Amino acid sequence: MSSDHPVVDEPPVLPQGDSIVAGRPFFSRPVGKIFIIWFLMTAVGVLIGIFAPHHLMPTFLSHEGTDVWRTMVLFTILAAPVAAVVYAVAAYSLIGWRHRGNQDDPPEDGPPLRGNSTVTAVWLATSSVLVLVLLAWGLTVYSAEEVSHPGTLQVDVTGQQWLWTFTYPGTGVETRSLVLPINRPVQFNVTSVDVTHGFWPAALGVQVDANPGVTTVIRATPDKLGNFTVRCSQLCGLYHSFMYAPGSVVTSAGFSRWLRSEGASTTTGQATALVKKQ
Amino acid sequence: MAEETEAPEQPAGSGDATRRARSRPLGFAITLVIALIVFAGVGLLFHAQAYSSPAGTLVATDVGTSTVKGVALKHVTLHFNTYPDASGSVNGVPIHPGGNPAWPSYGPTNQYQVPAHALVTVTIRQYDSGGALNNAWFDKVRGTVGGTAIINGKVVTSINPNNVGHTFTVRGTPGTDPGFFVSVPLPLVPGDSQTDNGKYETIVFSFISGDKGLYAWNCEFPCGTSIASFGGPMNAYGYMSGFVHVV
Repeated sequence: MSSDHPVVDEPPVLPQGDSIVAGRPFFSRPVGKIFIIWFLMTAVGVLIGIFAPHHLMPTFLSHEGTDVWRTMVLFTILAAPVAAVVYAVAAYSLIGWRHRGNQDDPPEDGPPLRGNSTVTAVWLATSSVLVLVLLAWGLTVYSAEEVSHPGTLQVDVTGQQWLWTFTYPGTGVETRSLVLPINRPVQFNVTSVDVTHGFWPAALGVQVDANPGVTTVIRATPDKLGNFTVRCSQLCGLYHSFMYAPGSVVTSAGFSRWLRSEGASTTTGQATALVKKQ
Repeated sequence: MAEETEAPEQPAGSGDATRRARSRPLGFAITLVIALIVFAGVGLLFHAQAYSSPAGTLVATDVGTSTVKGVALKHVTLHFNTYPDASGSVNGVPIHPGGNPAWPSYGPTNQYQVPAHALVTVTIRQYDSGGALNNAWFDKVRGTVGGTAIINGKVVTSINPNNVGHTFTVRGTPGTDPGFFVSVPLPLVPGDSQTDNGKYETIVFSFISGDKGLYAWNCEFPCGTSIASFGGPMNAYGYMSGFVHVV
């Protein structure tokens, strides 16, 4: 039996990646194309980090909210190049190396890359620095919010299906709307009388769970006048979507007037202190 | 005799691969359409359950004009009841058609319609027993005209938080006035009484309706089952919750 082709026992040895692309311009090689994709995605990510928070996040009315905004911007910008590496490699692999319909069996995997200590070191160092920066930033912001200031206004927050109620200790004032004076630290003592809720005045930049039988403390200092909404951030039942309360940051004088209009006793406890501080 | 020319032999499997590649967009489109239909169906089901009732919507009765703080307002009335269970009927009207007969329920419907910016006077007959509130904040009458309600002919601003049967609590929903709020505690009847033994509490109160839109109401007394007694009828549409349609 004759044949035009020689019979071989071993499959032909294919040229490996480096030899295939050797001599080609950097940006025409796969790594160059991935670099371009990475660069563009990083640019898009940075732009999103700079501009998107203005549109996606509420107008913050507190120091803590401003800190949250800065954190979101910084973290997004720092995360953009890291995420872009993953997306760029994935995108190029899915599109550039996809199995096309007119091909037979998919090509076999290339040889694994091992032993590139430079890449490993750079990657570990970069990741470590980024994570440490994020950790330091986060702890700094968090610790600032944990500090209790003298003259802090106490507000007891009670969540229940499906309403928030707010009590101003020492004043006799219980309301369904959260009214706060500007530039006065506030401590929210949050609890629930039934299931777990999430106390979330988004514009103040704070959020904490309201757990039955437990009082959780969170602080904020309103620094801008305006209205906001207190929402529940934990799915808590049938009317969870309607569990919200109106809130507002008012002037010190306005807060005093509001307390009196709500029937505050100005002769005892916190009410006296509140009025004196206005 | 002409020789037949054989078609060149195709590699095995290449035709199938081509067909699969061509059919992918169609498969994707069909999957997307099915997903949208299922999603829309579930949404419509929830919408129908939440915003309507098998018993229909109770439309407020126009009784003329009344003046509140010097402002003349259209005056309408609503009459409905609270029952210890959803079985039976009142004057031939089922309390809760198709409902769980063991659960307490508002009746004959949980959907009410009132005009915008009108004086709404509500009369509720409360037939159910009760107990203590989870949150005594709801023992007070809030958001009504004068901050009062009339219970069995007596004007009150609050009731004993340990003797509450239910509450009728209305609030705005997104898109309406978030500050709108009316809450009236309904005192309990000692021992469950059904419609045939004649024991009930009569609660009358008035409020001024807000802008047009959908307002949610519910009971804030823990009259359900499970955790904190807020399961069962408290977490199912049609029993202890519903909507006020302001038109």
